[in-house]
Amino acid sequence: MKTAAAILLSITVALFATDARTAEEELEHLIPPGYQPEEAADEKGLWMEFEEMEISLNKSALLIRDPELVNYVNGIVCKVAADYCDDFRVYLVRNPGFNASMTATGMMQIWTGLIVRATSTDEIAAVVGHEIAHYTRMHSLERFRSLKSKMATAGFFDLGLAVLTGISAPIGQATAILSFLSFNREQETEADLLGTRILAEAGYDPHAAYEVWYKILAEEEAAAVKRRKPGLFSQTHPNSIERAEYLRNFVNDRYGPPYSDGTADPELLKILNNHYELLMEDQIDTNRFGRTEEILRRHAEIGVEPGILYYFHGEMYRQRGEDGDNRLAMEAYKKSIEQEKVPAEAYKNLGYLYLKTKDMANAQANFRNYLEAAPDASDRAMIEFYLEDDAR
Amino acid sequence: MKTKALPLCFALAVLGGCSVSSFTLVTPGIVTIADLNVQAGSGWNDAPIHQRRFARTDSAAWTKDGLLLDRLVFIPAVPDGEPLLLSRERTAAMPVFRADMLPNELEELVESSIVKFFGEGQAVVSTENLRPHRFGENRGVLFDLSATVTESPAYKGLVGAFVANDKLYVMYYLGATPHYYGKHVAEAEAIIKSATI
Repeated sequence: MKTAAAILLSITVALFATDARTAEEELEHLIPPGYQPEEAADEKGLWMEFEEMEISLNKSALLIRDPELVNYVNGIVCKVAADYCDDFRVYLVRNPGFNASMTATGMMQIWTGLIVRATSTDEIAAVVGHEIAHYTRMHSLERFRSLKSKMATAGFFDLGLAVLTGISAPIGQATAILSFLSFNREQETEADLLGTRILAEAGYDPHAAYEVWYKILAEEEAAAVKRRKPGLFSQTHPNSIERAEYLRNFVNDRYGPPYSDGTADPELLKILNNHYELLMEDQIDTNRFGRTEEILRRHAEIGVEPGILYYFHGEMYRQRGEDGDNRLAMEAYKKSIEQEKVPAEAYKNLGYLYLKTKDMANAQANFRNYLEAAPDASDRAMIEFYLEDDAR
Repeated sequence: MKTKALPLCFALAVLGGCSVSSFTLVTPGIVTIADLNVQAGSGWNDAPIHQRRFARTDSAAWTKDGLLLDRLVFIPAVPDGEPLLLSRERTAAMPVFRADMLPNELEELVESSIVKFFGEGQAVVSTENLRPHRFGENRGVLFDLSATVTESPAYKGLVGAFVANDKLYVMYYLGATPHYYGKHVAEAEAIIKSATI
């Protein structure tokens, strides 16, 4: 039985869908393609600071430069941006967090954590569309002026711009300042509605606009250790069931049923299969196993190569280390090595687990398979130690 | 003597940020950190704990050119179920040591802990060249580490680790690349390899 609050929420979102449709039809881009800043000193100054930050970002060793990955994200941004495509420079940053950000100058960052959380290219495009809408509605400039009026000018750029761009500020400063930087509710709603429109115009499924929020909620639900503060994207973009609900009602009202027939997105699947280790190893390093398990569950649903997926299940169970996890990890590694595409490390880590059970014969057999699959392994000396008799 | 020293320190604190505890020179020779013994060379400075992020109280960190550029860290006797680094933030999801950990897991524990040290999402840390090493009577491992960090120098490092009496002992050196890592790594390696209990 629905609670009174749930009924009220349903009524609210249903009413909002109608209002939202009207509001969306009235929304326009505020700047044309190829926009350059006006003569206003603060806007010019903002651009100069962002340009300096972009030079710095361009040199970052955390940028991913793999052509296939870079072309993938560039392709999404350009398709969603349409006439604005040439206004944006896209940087794919190695970071397990869920985030994308855009500056007023068109410097866009996409974190690898966004790619691993998506189950379709449409969902990545939805986040991109949302950021582009912030850009064409000039929300960053509004936000900058609002923030500037709240803070002393001295030190503003050092403190504020790093966070505005999503580039790390020194630890502590970023957190301290984030509360000032959130877009206001009106700006968020505009970005949701306009972003969904340009998403649909680009041929992507507009239903991805709310599905991506439900996924964030599901991940938070699955988390073993809840964050006291949400991730960076969620701190600057309000994240709630209410938002997902209103967007779902709006999109269904405006665009009809989902385009997707439920089959896997071959474009995203290819990216995940070809770069899974690079994309997922940082997530494993976060030690946040509930979230990792939820991500792996999604990847299984969309059909990521089972050999790789079982291997990462093994990694997740083994490193979590709760009661029964070693057994689950062994089962996962065994399933992994039955598949066609299998990381050599699956043999190695299965070997180590056999070592824990004092099954030296199986441990050594798997260690040998590992060295055969990875003859140049950097830990060869360690493995050979266990292949020697006196290691028992 | 105290009556003279205190006003002086107060005056220096006001003028230049004098603090009660500061870096102290490490005396060359055998140095004991909790129950861990290492053979120290000359020129190392022991950093006060308040200068060290997430440090366990019985750990030590030495440096030659400043903690940002090089640090040699000793973390002795970590009990089963405890993390290498301490965070006040309960949501930090720090990885913990388990007494049955094998070499690959010790390597992962250090890697994941260093990620947390630099800040989750702020660094990509990788390890390689895991190899056996004997620390006195205890079997242990050595491995190399590298860290790419946002808005900071990149680091390379060397890690030594062993388990004795169900407790973990970790010694690691991190140096900014290329200069500071290369400058002190040979000395740091000798000290790490000398560790015994």
